[in-house]
Amino acid sequence: MRNIISLVVLVVIVFSCSLDLEPISEFSASGFYETAEDARAGVYGIYNATQSAFSRNLAFWGEGRADAVDTRHSGDPRMLLNNTLNKDMRSASWTGLYQIISRANYAVKYIPEVLSDEGLGATLMGQARGLRALAYFYAVRIWGDVPLVLEPFEGTDQEIFVRRTDREIVLDQVEKDLMYAARNAPQGGDKTLFTAGAAYALLSHLYMWQHDYEKASSYSDTVMADASYTLVTIDDWNKIFTNGNSRESIFEIGYNEDQTNMLRVLYALGSDSDYFPSETFMNTFEDGDLRQELTYDVTKAFPRMIWKFFGKGFNDEDPAPSTHNIVMLRLADIILLKAEALLHLGDKQGALDLVNRIRNRAALPDLNENTAVALYGDIESAILHERLVELSYEGHRWFDLVRTGKAISTMKPRNGLSDEDNLVWPISGDAINRNPNLVQNEYYK
Amino acid sequence: MIRMHRWLLKFKESFRKIFLISRRTCENAFVGCYKTLAGYTCLFLLFTFVGKSAECFAQTFDYQVRSVQFLDALKALESKSGYSIFYDQDIVSEPSTVSVDLKNANLTQILEAVLKDRSLTYNIQGKTIFLYGLPDTDSVQSVPESDPIEVQGEVTGQDGEPLIGVNVWIKESNKGTATDFDGRFELQEVEEDAVLIISYIGYETQEIPLNGKTEISVIMIEDSQTIEEVVVVGYGTKKKSNLIGSISSVSSVEIEKSQQHDLISVLQGRAAGVQVTTSSGAPGGGMTIRVRGASSLNSGNSPLFIVDGIPLESNSMSLLNQDDPGVNPIADINPNDIESIEVLKDAASTAIYGARAANGVVLITTKRGKAGKPIIRLNTFTGFSEVPRKLSVLNATQWREAVLDAYANMDNPDIPHSVVVDSLSPKNNGDVDWQSEMFRKAIQNSINLSVAGGADNFGYAWSASYLDQQGILINTDFKRITSRLNTDLKVTDRLSIGQSIAYSNGARTKVNSGGVGNKSLIRQLLIRPPTYAMYLPDGSYNGYQNGQRNPVGLANLATDTDQSHRMIGSQYIEMELLEGLKIRSNMNLDFISMKEDYFLPSSLDYREGWNEGKVRSSQNLTWGNETYLSYNQVFDNRHNFSAMGGLGFQRWKRTITGLDGSYFASDRIITLNGAGTISNQQVNRASEHALRSYFGRVSYDYEGRYLAEANVRVDGSSRFGKNQRYAFFPSASLGWRFTGESFMADQNFISDGKLRISAGQTGNEAIGDYTAQGQFLVGANYLNNSGAAPTITSNTNLTWESTTEYDVGVDLSFLDHRIEVTADVYLKRTSGLLFNVPVPLTTGFESVTQNVGNIENRGIEGSLVSRNLVGEFQWNTSFNISTNRNRITSLPSELLTNGYIQNGPYHILQVGQPIGIFYGYKFLGVYPTDEDNVNGLTYGANGPVFKGGEPIWYDANNDNIIDENDRVVIGDATSAFWGGMNNEFSYKGFSLGVFFQYVYGNDIYSVLNHERNSIRRYDNLSTDALKRWRKPGDITNFPKPVRDDPRESDSRIQDRWIEDGSYLKIKNVMLSYDLNRNLISRFGLRNLQLYVTATDLLTFTNYTAFDPDVNSFGGIRPGVDYGTYPLNRSFFFGIKAEF
Repeated sequence: MRNIISLVVLVVIVFSCSLDLEPISEFSASGFYETAEDARAGVYGIYNATQSAFSRNLAFWGEGRADAVDTRHSGDPRMLLNNTLNKDMRSASWTGLYQIISRANYAVKYIPEVLSDEGLGATLMGQARGLRALAYFYAVRIWGDVPLVLEPFEGTDQEIFVRRTDREIVLDQVEKDLMYAARNAPQGGDKTLFTAGAAYALLSHLYMWQHDYEKASSYSDTVMADASYTLVTIDDWNKIFTNGNSRESIFEIGYNEDQTNMLRVLYALGSDSDYFPSETFMNTFEDGDLRQELTYDVTKAFPRMIWKFFGKGFNDEDPAPSTHNIVMLRLADIILLKAEALLHLGDKQGALDLVNRIRNRAALPDLNENTAVALYGDIESAILHERLVELSYEGHRWFDLVRTGKAISTMKPRNGLSDEDNLVWPISGDAINRNPNLVQNEYYK
Repeated sequence: MIRMHRWLLKFKESFRKIFLISRRTCENAFVGCYKTLAGYTCLFLLFTFVGKSAECFAQTFDYQVRSVQFLDALKALESKSGYSIFYDQDIVSEPSTVSVDLKNANLTQILEAVLKDRSLTYNIQGKTIFLYGLPDTDSVQSVPESDPIEVQGEVTGQDGEPLIGVNVWIKESNKGTATDFDGRFELQEVEEDAVLIISYIGYETQEIPLNGKTEISVIMIEDSQTIEEVVVVGYGTKKKSNLIGSISSVSSVEIEKSQQHDLISVLQGRAAGVQVTTSSGAPGGGMTIRVRGASSLNSGNSPLFIVDGIPLESNSMSLLNQDDPGVNPIADINPNDIESIEVLKDAASTAIYGARAANGVVLITTKRGKAGKPIIRLNTFTGFSEVPRKLSVLNATQWREAVLDAYANMDNPDIPHSVVVDSLSPKNNGDVDWQSEMFRKAIQNSINLSVAGGADNFGYAWSASYLDQQGILINTDFKRITSRLNTDLKVTDRLSIGQSIAYSNGARTKVNSGGVGNKSLIRQLLIRPPTYAMYLPDGSYNGYQNGQRNPVGLANLATDTDQSHRMIGSQYIEMELLEGLKIRSNMNLDFISMKEDYFLPSSLDYREGWNEGKVRSSQNLTWGNETYLSYNQVFDNRHNFSAMGGLGFQRWKRTITGLDGSYFASDRIITLNGAGTISNQQVNRASEHALRSYFGRVSYDYEGRYLAEANVRVDGSSRFGKNQRYAFFPSASLGWRFTGESFMADQNFISDGKLRISAGQTGNEAIGDYTAQGQFLVGANYLNNSGAAPTITSNTNLTWESTTEYDVGVDLSFLDHRIEVTADVYLKRTSGLLFNVPVPLTTGFESVTQNVGNIENRGIEGSLVSRNLVGEFQWNTSFNISTNRNRITSLPSELLTNGYIQNGPYHILQVGQPIGIFYGYKFLGVYPTDEDNVNGLTYGANGPVFKGGEPIWYDANNDNIIDENDRVVIGDATSAFWGGMNNEFSYKGFSLGVFFQYVYGNDIYSVLNHERNSIRRYDNLSTDALKRWRKPGDITNFPKPVRDDPRESDSRIQDRWIEDGSYLKIKNVMLSYDLNRNLISRFGLRNLQLYVTATDLLTFTNYTAFDPDVNSFGGIRPGVDYGTYPLNRSFFFGIKAEF
């Protein structure tokens, strides 16, 4: 009898289980950063968030409110183009960007616990901070003041109802992060990683946005001096986008068969994509510009798709997601930024020389001051036009217009944009609902 | 309810055997009578022969008592021998003591020593010893006053079956006999005016005056009151009469008559306090079950299912088509195997299951073997099902007109697309009635075979079944094979072992019937334009056209199947340690393996060569052990005391394997090896969960009059934060049987009455396995580099939802138990709701699971069982009604925007309101002309003024602007009350059962009606659209159709799509006929029944879509009709045979 009882008790004890069960197919939030491999995976997780943040918003944010596109689609495309933005539209959500920031914050906090600040540790930290800077830079350009969060969220006892931070303070942080990335991120190599070159290129953009032309000029020099970046020939121009990792590319978000983006839905879904070239855009090309027929089907009176990212002659009704990388920064962009900076610093000829580098590639003749003024009114406009056709649909146009103060004059005839306060997006209703301390942008109150 | 039948049948069986032998050996051997405790006079005819055959009780043991009360001596003997001793109170009340000291003696020796010097004798039947007084010699010698006659007769049950071994006794004498194998008896030398007393255990005793008759026939009536009904409770059983918790029971008889294929459907309308709604009418489809309302927001609201002590996985294992609640894991259990279902409702009953019990507990007990000859049962049926109604849609001409209207009504009219105007194109020249193409008369067949029996120390119940059920939509079906073996073995007097093991194999062929995509067939077959041709000229399906897919093509060519294997088993060992003290240990296991396949061929897609396949395989294992001691003792014959205490653990592990593929080389190879591109390896995951528990119960009653019980459970769960891992769940209940009091003794209107009161706490741990720990998800990859990302933040303080429940109930029996009423009032308060609290997106997270907010459920439920007519023609009625008021009593203020939380597209959560209120715009009609918009209401602040033909919206804030601030509560999915009523009639071999089920006062948000009344682009419409606004001045409730609906006339959440969901259903009608026994016995049959059944025969409702019994989401978003698989009306013909 006793034996049986002991047996039963034994059975219970043997089989009785611990309640401390660790996750099997994932890590518990507190137990992740333990090895160098974890640190690496954490940083790739930031890139993963970057993939989704820009998959569709690249065009909504960078092109949707500007003059190069037209649309037949309701929802964000129509609202952006008609300047009837509302707080519930898709592109008003900053979820994707703060996901990048949150993952970067984890990495920035925990990588130093696993790795030293040299070698791999530094490289990883550089990428994490670089991507965080990218996200904040976009956030400021889209919403103005945004909450500046630099610590990972790890528990409910933390302050989470953060207020919006002045945009200049956020941009200071962007600058710090990019400076760190410039020193520590990988030097060259794979364009799908945030390299030192990408940091310098983004710094150029940052200073142009802040109208600090000295610094913009100096950092774009650094990029242009880097022998690993060269302009490709016009024959390879589409391949910058279709093949990826070109010599001209500085930073691109990588995608593949499994990790896809919405470029095709945005630009090339047969006769039904979100965007197609606007009449303004089609009429803006100078005769003989080789880029025109690489950008869209010039044989059609009303082309319904954009070829640029898929190659000339691309014709597909397939709404399958796209697998091409999204090129965020490339040399032509930086060259034209440098030209703009030089112009503001008084070096008109230097500026025109750089513009002509880009024009020549497209088989266009050199511009001089007179022709530039004749054609575009002034040199700045000529540079901006060059950016429009060279960097079309790459997500730069709207920010270029805002940065140069030309957004209202350009868009007013088209959609009545007239208020400076209207240049930012509304903060999404969802974000405000979740955080009572967030105040809506003035124009959208 | 498990009746004491088990014991009785055993008794009857052994009685019969003994009888047959004894008839040869001794005549007229009878003795004594005794009175039952309840006051019924019964007579047991017993045979002295048995005493003589006592040699067979050869087992010997030691027996020592010294100067103990006679009664205690008997008890000691009971526990030593393992035999039960039956006696009349009167004969054992002699106050002398007993002393016996025997070693290695057999039972008869000991009995004789105990009974020495007492005018008592005994009789051993099976494992029971009967004690009775020795016959009074005087009465035997009394001389008859008149000429005696000879009487013979037949005794049968209500079903006409002869009853064997029925006692037939002449009143006021000790002369009697028992019926033989054919139910016949003979008595000689009976006086002409004698009265015969016919008695039989489990039946009402009858007195029949002879009045000179010499041939009588008696039909015995089953008396449920003389059988002590036993109810299964957590970790044990309890006499129904002593129950002080609130429990609804459904018996095997009801289950069998319901003709349902899964046990949740059986509960619909049959158990008070339990509300069942259909999530999908697909074969083997999902059901939603709520016990006393929903008490949780984000975690589960389903009760805990326990089958023979095994916690059952009741969540759908399906990983594909999660929109479509088409898989019900409870359907793996064969309802024919079930002996009883008990739904534990109040905390007094459920607290013993602690952390999993807040939503009630459903205890399922399967049939076990009973001592006796093997009983072989065969039940087979065949039948068909059909959709009860089709919905009206426009034909080709009407549709074209409507779409052209929609174009014309645009602000800047477009040129109509060729699909509308070009009626000659082979893709557009159809006039297809999609519903007729998709619905069919579906055939069902089922066969059930079971064998059960046993001996004194052994019982077995074996069953096998096969169900082949076609769905009413083409190419849908459910096939199920089940098999079960339950055995019990008494190894020694003190040690028993046993097991229950069941295997089931289920296979479904599904179509995607839920959701709103263009692959959702129910929706497609209503909105796909009639003109879209079924086939292209080459004979292939016109697969995809203008955003819509061909539902017939999808059903026939797409693959959507699942197959599951399930093993549910438990083993127990039970040992009697001391008198009244037992230890029992159960091992339990529930293993499910499900494989799902999905394939969409390129012929149904618009992309060249694009096809898509998915495969998922999931395994779910739960196993555990529970070991507990139980103790039962009666002190001083009045104080009934029992206690139970134990500990246990349970573990769960789930593993998922799967991949997606596309660009398969061919549509004919659908396994993933043929895929050109493979993706979605993230689905390959595993997770675990563990629970450790300690539990106990003490119950006491005084003469069954004053009852008390207390339960405790301590549960520790791996799912919760380290700081809050263990919780304590107590409950207590009191009962008073006032009919036991002397002041009730003089009336016989109320035959039994009991008041109950209980309070207790339970919990809910149904959240993610690792939610409290937070989660760093792997698979956040970048190109070929594996990445990881935080997806859930940790919350070490996360703990149970805690539910406190109070219950007051009354059980009443009237008019000699002809009418039984049970009623309960309860209040259930849940606090610390596990809720995914949305957090600012700046954290990088969507939400954090926290314990916040309170919910309250209060309700009344009642049931009534009445035997209206007894005798040859019988009529029984049972009725139940329940009501539940659900209310959110607190939500954290930081969660609220405008005072509420949006809960999916249609519902909101708001303090003071129930879960399930709909929130949106009020539709007041249609402006006949532009001028009728007298206030100039505008669409949004800067939008256009509403014109003639557009909806009149309720301007809640009177600002003449229709925007989101004008939304109000527009409906409530909560029903005011619900229940069921069953009527059973029987006459001779015929019986008829009619079961009604009803729900009253709930609203349904019909997304399906929205879809079929909204033209959008080219969607077809219901015939209501023929009443649409066409020109200024038209008075109608159907706005003008506008392409793409720019002013959200149709698409906003509005009360135009809300309908009353009340209904009354004739859920089940069954007519059966039992063939004459004399006829069938020649073929070796004991029983043969033919029956016809109809389920969901008629529905009385105002609801205009397929069926008001619908629940697309379940959870906390009830009452939405997304257009799920409709319920079907079925007719069956079946045969039940017993050998």
